[in-house]
Amino acid sequence: MSNLLVDVRELNLWYGKYKALDNINTSFTAGKCVVICGPSGSGKSSLLRCVNRLEEFQEGDVLFEGQSLRECTNIASLRSEIGMVFQHFELYPHMSILDNITLAPRYAKKKSKPDAEAHAYVLMERVGITDQALKYPAELSGGQQQRAAIARALALEPKLMLFDEPTSALDPEMIVEVLRVMRDLAMEGMAMLVVTHEMGFAREVSDEIIFMDEGKIIERKNTEDFFSNPNSKRVQDFLDRILVKI
Amino acid sequence: MDWNVIIVNLPFLMKGLWMSIKLAVLVICFAFPIACVMAVGRISNRLWIRYPSAIFVNIMRSNPLILIVFWFFFLVPILTGRPVGDFASVMIGFVVFFAAYFTEIIRSGIQSVGRNQIQAGLSTGLSYFQTMRMIVLPQALRNMIPALITECVIVFQGTTIAYVVGLREFLNSTFLVTERTLRPAELYIFAAIVYFIVCFAGSLLARQLEKRKVIT
Ligand SMILES: Nc1ncnc2c1ncn2[C@@H]1O[C@H](COP(=O)(O)OP(=O)(O)OP(=O)(O)O)[C@@H](O)[C@H]1O
Ligand SMILES: [Mg+2]
Repeated sequence: MSNLLVDVRELNLWYGKYKALDNINTSFTAGKCVVICGPSGSGKSSLLRCVNRLEEFQEGDVLFEGQSLRECTNIASLRSEIGMVFQHFELYPHMSILDNITLAPRYAKKKSKPDAEAHAYVLMERVGITDQALKYPAELSGGQQQRAAIARALALEPKLMLFDEPTSALDPEMIVEVLRVMRDLAMEGMAMLVVTHEMGFAREVSDEIIFMDEGKIIERKNTEDFFSNPNSKRVQDFLDRILVKI
Repeated sequence: MDWNVIIVNLPFLMKGLWMSIKLAVLVICFAFPIACVMAVGRISNRLWIRYPSAIFVNIMRSNPLILIVFWFFFLVPILTGRPVGDFASVMIGFVVFFAAYFTEIIRSGIQSVGRNQIQAGLSTGLSYFQTMRMIVLPQALRNMIPALITECVIVFQGTTIAYVVGLREFLNSTFLVTERTLRPAELYIFAAIVYFIVCFAGSLLARQLEKRKVIT
């Protein structure tokens, strides 16, 4: 239990009257990659966004390294330990890629500019976009933008990375390059929570898979078991539908 | 027509124009930062911030400018027992009035920047205020440049109201010269040309900046 990173306890989230998360109990350990899948509207993004309190949940709690998010008074500093990658990249269009990556290290983590930039170049090298450093997001391909967004999140030196459908806005040939970066990260032991429909990636890279429906976790299994013997009919149907597509 | 009357009185008229420009520039310089803060307040989740800004904006926008200048020129002295002065009451009246209009322009500019940009900023550990200042406002400003320039031109035209408290801005100066020379036709045509030039320059600038926005 010593490497418990995130502990979700009896979490309930409503949007107005609509219950988006229904009594979620689960936990995530350091060094593991967990994929979250499920039909549209099942609450995957909501769960992810509760982990760094971008969504203010009404009931229950999320503990990050034992620290209660509900009681946390300095949420910004807690968020700077968690990287997040969005479906539509959300790079800042008015800044160069380099500035996108160094912004939070400089202003949230108070790093000096030279330090932040040196680190940014290391990360850009790692995701393969060094040549794009001084360009603006609009000048990059979708795949390059998403890799830049990953570098921006990694610049926080996070303990956990959250990915919300990082490849679903990309053309097929660009999906591969982003998934490769994510796979390398997982191999290096980064704790990752990934919402994705890329079952190939899930199968190859993830340690565990969570299946959600209607705001509940229906099933959570080792990756191997999840594919070989899912016990609920809903998971089976979902897999049939999504695997046929591939 | 005797256009000589304009040449003879040009120094006096230009002094008035200078007063108009000074007023407009000062008003914009004060109203704009106030409006930035209020616009952020206007979209805040906290009701005790949001409601006061909303009330302020709506009161200002439902009154004519001239009435707000009168408040400071006539009402405030009655309440406080000392006169505000013509320049000060015009300045204060204009600043609060136009701050309200600028607030609405900036607010819609901010709302034109996606909610996800805010979330991206927050997710990296930047504070709400930092996210606004470094991520949202720069993008919002770029989107609203045309509307802002139009509003600045309106501020310039609005300076004519200063005339009601006897301040010698451009239109008031023109009026004084017509009284003296009895040549209203020439003078008012001249005034129209000057206002036209200023506004035309403004809209050219707006169009230019708008074009640039499309490219980047
Ligand atoms: N900000 C919001 N306000 C109101 N309802 C919301 C909001 N965000 C999400 N919802 C609703 O909550 C439910 C769960 O949303 P969520 O985005 O978590 O689903 P998801 O599993 O990520 O779906 P998708 O695969 O479409 O991204 C959906 O029905 C959605 O319409
Ligand atoms: Mg989603």
